[in-house]
Amino acid sequence: MSYRTGDFDGASAFDDGASLLITGPSTVTTEGLLDAVAPDDGERAVLITMNTGPKTIVKELERRGADRDQIGIIDCTNAETDVEGVPVRRLNSPGDLTGISLEFAKLLGQNDDESVRARVGVASVSTALMYTEPRTMFRFLHVFTARIRSGEMFGVFSLDPTMHDEKAYNTIRSVFDCEAEMTADDVSLSGTGYE
Amino acid sequence: MADGDDQPTVLVVEDERALIELYVRWLENDFEVLTAEGGEAALEQFGEDVDVVLLDRLMPGMSGDEVLEAIRAQTSDCKVAMVTAVEPDFDVIDMGFDDYLTKPIEREELLETIDRLLSRSEFDSIEQELYALSSKQAALRASKPKEELDENEEFAELQARIDELQADLDTTLPEMGDDEFVAMVRDIEADDSGGESPDSEGGDQ
Repeated sequence: MSYRTGDFDGASAFDDGASLLITGPSTVTTEGLLDAVAPDDGERAVLITMNTGPKTIVKELERRGADRDQIGIIDCTNAETDVEGVPVRRLNSPGDLTGISLEFAKLLGQNDDESVRARVGVASVSTALMYTEPRTMFRFLHVFTARIRSGEMFGVFSLDPTMHDEKAYNTIRSVFDCEAEMTADDVSLSGTGYE
Repeated sequence: MADGDDQPTVLVVEDERALIELYVRWLENDFEVLTAEGGEAALEQFGEDVDVVLLDRLMPGMSGDEVLEAIRAQTSDCKVAMVTAVEPDFDVIDMGFDDYLTKPIEREELLETIDRLLSRSEFDSIEQELYALSSKQAALRASKPKEELDENEEFAELQARIDELQADLDTTLPEMGDDEFVAMVRDIEADDSGGESPDSEGGDQ
């Protein structure tokens, strides 16, 4: 099986367990990330958001065909908003990685059937990097993408390269199976894990 | 995992002599086994060579929690499986141990748990080496033009080693579960925020 998406530079499906990094200006990558994590029938979408409020996330996902009962949100934006019919877990800081992993496990653990099809979005790695050391983030992303792989989920992460020095960016990007470099009107996809 | 040694070392901490004997019988074929009949004795036995501690939570004198705290103050490398009388809640992963077993423990369960904890240690060390190499590679990438890198031997070697480690990492924990995931993230945060920062740029063990 795979996860169907809209067109990404000719690709339209990602392998089970794959993790995609979307890079570019945050306005563009957030759109791209929402496109990629919008769930199909029978799938769930868990969004870890640090830069966009839960209300906007839900509205945008609904616009892309999602139902509220497919969505779960871990909100690190301090937006303090509730969205009816959507579980929203709040954390005080994007740097609380243990909290994020715990809430993530709880959100997905809610359905106890083993083979839940889920898309996971993290918007954005750039914001998280303002609260953590690159080394900690690198290690976290390794463990997170390994969890996504073992659970046969689909991970989508966004990052704005202009917010980091080149070394940090190059180190972080090596964690992912594939990368979509986005500009306002173009996408270029490289790596593995898509068709 | 301990290199040089053939077998990983497990320290069994348990106040019931009969249980110690049972666990030792189950473990002695595959592991170097150390035993302690209480918390104080456990800390005397504990050292760098210990890979996994099987720690009874409820003991007279020093409790399992106190032993855990003392161990964590020394190192975060060793994995600790807490043995409890009742199934703990999910949130206890936050309490610092890596896994738990509820009494009575069965043989298969014990061996499986120890194997998984050792796999996690392996994952940790691969991933730390991977970070050191990836940041080295990223630094090269940032400092040299692409054409030059294509012919750079060091860069090619780095890439080969990174690919190798990446493949190892993928096979080390093929079935990572949720509580494992949470515990590993907790360990990473504890590690990196701890006073001693083992940032071994290019360091080999």
